[in-house]
Amino acid sequence: MFDNNVFLDDSCKNVVENGSVIGYEMQTNITYYRGIPLSMIEYIRVSKDGDDEPLENIIISIDKIDWFTLKEAETVTSYKWEYGEPLYIRILEEGGLSKGTHKIKLTVATRTAYIPVPLEGSKERIVEI
Amino acid sequence: MSKIKTCVSLYSLQDEYLNKRMSLEDIMWFVKESKAEGVEILPDQMLHGAPDISDETLERWNKIIKETELKPVIADVFLNTNIYKNRELTHKECVELLVKEIKQADKLGIRLIRLVSMVPYWVLEPLLPYCEQYNVTVALEIHAAMAFDIQETREFIEEMKRLNSTYIGLVIDTGIFCRRFPRVVKKYELNNGASKEMFDYIDALFEKGTDFHKERKKNDGKFPEDFMKTMKTEEDHMFAHLCDGYENYSYDILDEYMPYIKHFHLKLFEMTEEGPEYSMDYKGLLQYLHEHNYDGYVATEYEGNRFTLPGTPMAEKEQVSANQKYIRECLKEIQG
Repeated sequence: MFDNNVFLDDSCKNVVENGSVIGYEMQTNITYYRGIPLSMIEYIRVSKDGDDEPLENIIISIDKIDWFTLKEAETVTSYKWEYGEPLYIRILEEGGLSKGTHKIKLTVATRTAYIPVPLEGSKERIVEI
Repeated sequence: MSKIKTCVSLYSLQDEYLNKRMSLEDIMWFVKESKAEGVEILPDQMLHGAPDISDETLERWNKIIKETELKPVIADVFLNTNIYKNRELTHKECVELLVKEIKQADKLGIRLIRLVSMVPYWVLEPLLPYCEQYNVTVALEIHAAMAFDIQETREFIEEMKRLNSTYIGLVIDTGIFCRRFPRVVKKYELNNGASKEMFDYIDALFEKGTDFHKERKKNDGKFPEDFMKTMKTEEDHMFAHLCDGYENYSYDILDEYMPYIKHFHLKLFEMTEEGPEYSMDYKGLLQYLHEHNYDGYVATEYEGNRFTLPGTPMAEKEQVSANQKYIRECLKEIQG
């Protein structure tokens, strides 16, 4: 139901820091119709060419200043992921995405208090590096 | 004598906002142009930082309200009882969050809060002094699948009656008055791989004057055997749990609750070309409200946006305009 919100087009690219590629990054809108604190993200999954990325390699941010691992985000209640604003998702992986075409799939789920199942959205995009 | 007034919930225009085709200002002016008298907002959706909005955001809101002259009728409030993964919030924490919402509503010039379904009844007594101090009413949403037969709703209603305050009430979502299953939902799900047989089963229930929620309830909350037989695909198994969110109550269920009802959501899946909504008979409901002297707003809440087929243009603005036009015509006929 929220698939259309996930994985903004043209947002996936390698991240260069101090001259080296430290991983890759993408942006997504929220899988909900309102903003919530980062602690209410139930899960995020990323797969590259069919293989799941290790969860401990994923970090997220709403401002590209303060980054949290998924485990850390579970207690982050004062940073709000606003409706209509992107969440930045980075996969820390030396070298990032190699030159060529990749299938990147992003799945995002948020928790609500009144619906027993998380609100999930998923999208796969073909990414050209 | 009834005083039924029109309103638009900004929930209706969420895709326009999400994809930045319209700003909050654009949306408010659109509501004004639709000739609605009032506006309903989800602060968590369109006011950054809610419930701790900045002075700048507040000034921006006040400016739009002043310029559009729209009445800010109601704020849709949520309670994040599961803000943490490893525990539920305590009673004290829940009340503190809602006190913030009451103070925010007051700042925004809003006198009514819609509490999302399933908000626990025990927040009411501790909230009451704040409601009185800030002149803000709190009202639980009665929504399909979470309506009068659900324990949490029954507990809230019992507490509401016990406390007997004008600051506590109910918001009714008209998704409990579906006479047919929304065909836009059916089309969307068929496109996602759901089975036609599943919807034939549900349509037949509505034709008999009942609904899937009641059938499931009769079967101790489990899926009826004949329904199970229609479930074939993965999508069927996913969507089956959401099929009971469309109920078929008769209007007289409201008889008992009219003194407590503060607001209505006119749930909207699809305005047809002929005029009425596909699933719900708004005219019948408005006639009922007129006869029961309802004095309050009825707010367009478009949800067909969620069921727009891929590749099909989003019709939020068109659907809201069509709904407002239809409601206005009905009210003219009924209220004069």
